[in-house]
Amino acid sequence: MAEGLASEHARIGELVGDQPAEWDLAGELPDGLLRKLGAEGILCAQVPAAFGGLGARSQDNGELTAYTGSLCSSLRSIMTSQGIAAWTIQRFGDREQRRRYLAELTSGQLAAVAFSEPEAGSDLSAMRTLIRPAGDSVVIDGQKVWTTGARYADLLVVLGRYGDGAAAVVVPADAPGVRVEPVTDPMGCRAAGHSHVRLDGVRLPASYVLGGGGQALSLLFTTALSYGRMSVAWGCVGIVRACLGAAASHAKRREQSGKPLAQHQLVARHLSELLIAEQVSTRICEHASRCWDAGSADMVTAAVLAKHVSAGHAARSAATTVQVLASAGATDGHVAARAYRDAKLMEIIEGSSEICQLLLAEHALATVP
Amino acid sequence: MTTEQTFGFAPVSTDVITDALVSFLTQRLKTEVAPDQELFKSGLVSSMFAMELVVHLEASYDIAIIGPELKLDNFSLVERLREVEGVGAEGTGEDG
Repeated sequence: MAEGLASEHARIGELVGDQPAEWDLAGELPDGLLRKLGAEGILCAQVPAAFGGLGARSQDNGELTAYTGSLCSSLRSIMTSQGIAAWTIQRFGDREQRRRYLAELTSGQLAAVAFSEPEAGSDLSAMRTLIRPAGDSVVIDGQKVWTTGARYADLLVVLGRYGDGAAAVVVPADAPGVRVEPVTDPMGCRAAGHSHVRLDGVRLPASYVLGGGGQALSLLFTTALSYGRMSVAWGCVGIVRACLGAAASHAKRREQSGKPLAQHQLVARHLSELLIAEQVSTRICEHASRCWDAGSADMVTAAVLAKHVSAGHAARSAATTVQVLASAGATDGHVAARAYRDAKLMEIIEGSSEICQLLLAEHALATVP
Repeated sequence: MTTEQTFGFAPVSTDVITDALVSFLTQRLKTEVAPDQELFKSGLVSSMFAMELVVHLEASYDIAIIGPELKLDNFSLVERLREVEGVGAEGTGEDG
């Protein structure tokens, strides 16, 4: 099934070319490129064909995500955000909302999903953003931070409290009361458009609340984050692949002390570790995608496991790659330097490594009486 | 994923569904669960469990539980969950 989405791989390769270094330095992705990829359904490839999407399996979208991640983690982050938005709408939206929004997300409109708040990061249950019913409308007040892709987004899927439970509401980025302020100088994924979002008395028709609202907050964010974890996990596979490629070709060509770096045993060990990282993270992501495609309840834990393992490998592989390339990779914009900064953030977003470990420990405990 | 599924819900007695649910919950949660027990408010289920339960129900009964059926109220008790399944899912019609 490695052939799935072959033309989409080619399309990404063709549109991205050698620009990621430039995008990293500028801290910005070309808006036109994002809209082009969006209109071709590539940014959220798992949207079913009935809604205008490519109807890709998790496995195939995973490989597409890894390929994108191997080229540019900022662009891959946009793919993750668009995918989470589409998945959340697909799961929680009513029939009309699915039809309307999924058509928009596959025809060039861009979306971001706002989870984190100043006081609610790892503990999303501390979320304060309020979505308040007011007749045929809802009024939204709150503050979101580090919303990936919000800088480019037309639609912001905002999670917040709603009565006794929670809700996700689709907020047009240009609605009165919405302010999007790009994060200045993010350490990694510099062109991913991370932004702080302020919502002050934003009044929207109640029909913008997905499924009428009133879901359990944990169901809402676990569902949304599960897609995000799959996407980040595969994106990390891409980072590891880029690292492996860069380190191996450098070690093969660069000579020191009269022989190629690769023939120095300590460098050779780095290469073997990169290959192990690439294989381990690929296999664990494949497993999670199989669970996802089979509709197995294990997919929830498998996504956490895949994200945690792949992000750890990506961060270590990036550090190793900078070590092998040394001065050759130590300039911003270089694939090794980008990997080093981008991968570290992957150990933080979509559930930090520590949160993943707690979830996995909880799972381990749940399997014994 | 879910919208590709067809509505294959065969008539099953509600007692059978209740028993199956109680058995799944008891097995996953390692504790006895009563049909009228509060699942969320009691803190009985983990933050990940709600989604696992939804996916389990979809796979077991070949239905899609999406949209308005995912409201908290429908997942508060085993008795309510059974009703969700009885209804099938609103997303299984012409969408897919």
